[in-house]
Formats: sequence, structure tokens, C-alpha cells
Amino acid sequence: MDEELLVRRARRGDLEAYDELVRRHQERIYATIYHMTSNHEDANDLAQESFIKAFHALKSFKGGSSFYTWLYRIAVNKTINFLKQRKNRMHMSLNDLDFNAEHDPDLMALISDNTPRRAAGLTELQEKLNAALLKLSEPHRLVVVLHDVQGQSHEEIAKIMDCNIGTVRSRLFYARQQLQASLSDYLK
Amino acid sequence: MNENENNFESLRRLLALKRHETPPPGYFNNFSSQVLQQIRAGQTNQSANLAEELFNHAPWLARLLHAFDARPLLASGFAGALCMLLLIGIVYAERPDLSPQPLLQAANNTTELAAVSPTVLSQPADQSGIVSSTNPVLSLQPMGSPFGQQNSLAQPVSFSPSGN
Repeated sequence: MDEELLVRRARRGDLEAYDELVRRHQERIYATIYHMTSNHEDANDLAQESFIKAFHALKSFKGGSSFYTWLYRIAVNKTINFLKQRKNRMHMSLNDLDFNAEHDPDLMALISDNTPRRAAGLTELQEKLNAALLKLSEPHRLVVVLHDVQGQSHEEIAKIMDCNIGTVRSRLFYARQQLQASLSDYLK
Repeated sequence: MNENENNFESLRRLLALKRHETPPPGYFNNFSSQVLQQIRAGQTNQSANLAEELFNHAPWLARLLHAFDARPLLASGFAGALCMLLLIGIVYAERPDLSPQPLLQAANNTTELAAVSPTVLSQPADQSGIVSSTNPVLSLQPMGSPFGQQNSLAQPVSFSPSGN
């Protein structure tokens, strides 16, 4: 069904239509928040709260941007506010890697030959990577997550972050530099 | 920018590891239903908050309802009294002899009253003693001003027919 129609129905309080909208976007919204927080429980709570807030704010949605972009903005702002409040109380609760990770040739190539067990190597790499991401400021982390992890374009990110494309590019460049410095041992 | 992209190629490959971090199996099966459940619970809370706000503005209403909860007899007595009042109201409303006269009709009758009891009307206030506040002011003659000014209610009229 057309997303615009679903949004119109949801604005009138139709929960069935909103259920469909949640199902369409839940994975991407959850993933963005999870990669920003590196914590499954926080991501779960924030994702649910974002969808609830979006439902109550639907009347203020003018349709100037796509529903997806508007929803992303809500989730991103909520997450950044949460992270600012949680400053210095970072606690990782990482999701398990899926089966495909062990068969990804690019990832396998990155693991040191000295690692005794492949799975242990991947888990260690996962922890180091998340720790390095958490060292970045929220806007820099967000750009990396949206672009390099989720594969969104600079234009889309600029709309979500409400800034220009030049800012997105410069933030991405700076964030990558920081990450490269933090993960230099794993990037030889 | 392409050079930069090449410089960060290995980093991008490492970041791809993040895509393999997935929530527990079946996690998204219940996600939307949990969201909707919270939305519904929020709507219920909203109406509960409205009731709470009403009770804050009218605490007597809360006390009354609590008293009714504690004593069902009191509630039934109160309901019975309300019904009686309603019935009495209906009975009285249907009796024409008890219905009040229209206000305009009462106002027209004032001239008749003046004709019936001119003595009362012509008596000055100081002679009639204590005058009840319910006595109507029936005098149609404007009172003279104690300062010799013209009364605003009685303006002198000089009328000359046209055509002279």
C-alpha cells in the first residue's frame, strides 16, 4: 500500500495503518539507534519511544519530506539527546554477529593470522570497532553509521541531520580519520 | 574525494562488520505490537489523567465519589433524591396556575397598580416611613433636581409646524 495513504490513515488514528508503517521501518530505525548506542536494550527502548513519539506527532507532519526522513529525524534527535544525558556512562551490550559474518571474505582478510580461533577474532574486532565508534562525537558517529554502515547517500544524510552536504562530507572525513587512528592495529 | 575513499577502503570493509550485528532471532516479530500496545496504554492513561485533573479542580467531586464507593446506600439515596427533584420539577412545570407571569405583562400592570393605590405612590418617602426594597418604583413623574438643573429625562420640546 502507498506510504502516503498509510500516513494519512495513521494521522486519523488508524493504528492498523501505523502498524504497517512501523513494520516497514523498524529494522532500519532500530539498526541506526543500535549502531549509535552499541547497546541492544537502549536501542530497543529508544526505537519504541521514537515510533510512539512519531505517532503522536503525526499531526505536525506536513509532508515536506518523506515520512522515512521525518521518522529518522525523530529517532536521531531522541538518540542524541539520550547519549548526551548518558555521557560517561557508556555500557556496551552488543548483539551477536550473524552467521554470514564468518563467511565474509573481506572481514576474514582483516583478522590477524595469529588469532587462534576465527570466532574469537571476530568478536574481539567487533568490540574494538564499537569502542572506537563510541569515542566519536554523536554527529560524527551518526554520519559514519548512516553512510558507511547503512549505505545512505550524502543527500539523505544531510536531510536527516538538517545540514548541508559539505558538512556531511567534512564530518565523514574527520570521523574516518579518527576511526583509522583508533583501529590502526586492525587495518594493516 | 575519490582518493580519500581509497584511503579509507579497509576501514569501510571493517565497518561492514557492523551490518552483521543483528538482534536476537524473532525480535522484530513482536516489535510493532509492543509499540501499538504502548500507544494504546498511553491513550488510556491520557483519559485517566483527565479524570485526575478534574478531581484536582473539584476535590469535592472526588470525595463524593469515594463516599458513594464506600456506602452504596448513600449512592442510591442520592440518586433517589435526584429523581424526586426531577419529578417535582416536571409536575410543577406542567401546572399553569403556578407558572410565573411573563415579565412584560407584569410591567404593563404597573400603571393599573398606580391607579389603584395613588396614595401610596404620592406619599413621599419620608412620610411613608420605612419603604420595603421590594416596593416597585411606580412614579412616572420625574423627580425635580435639587440643584435646579433640568432633568435629563424630561427635555423641553419646542415644536413649530412646518410650512409657515
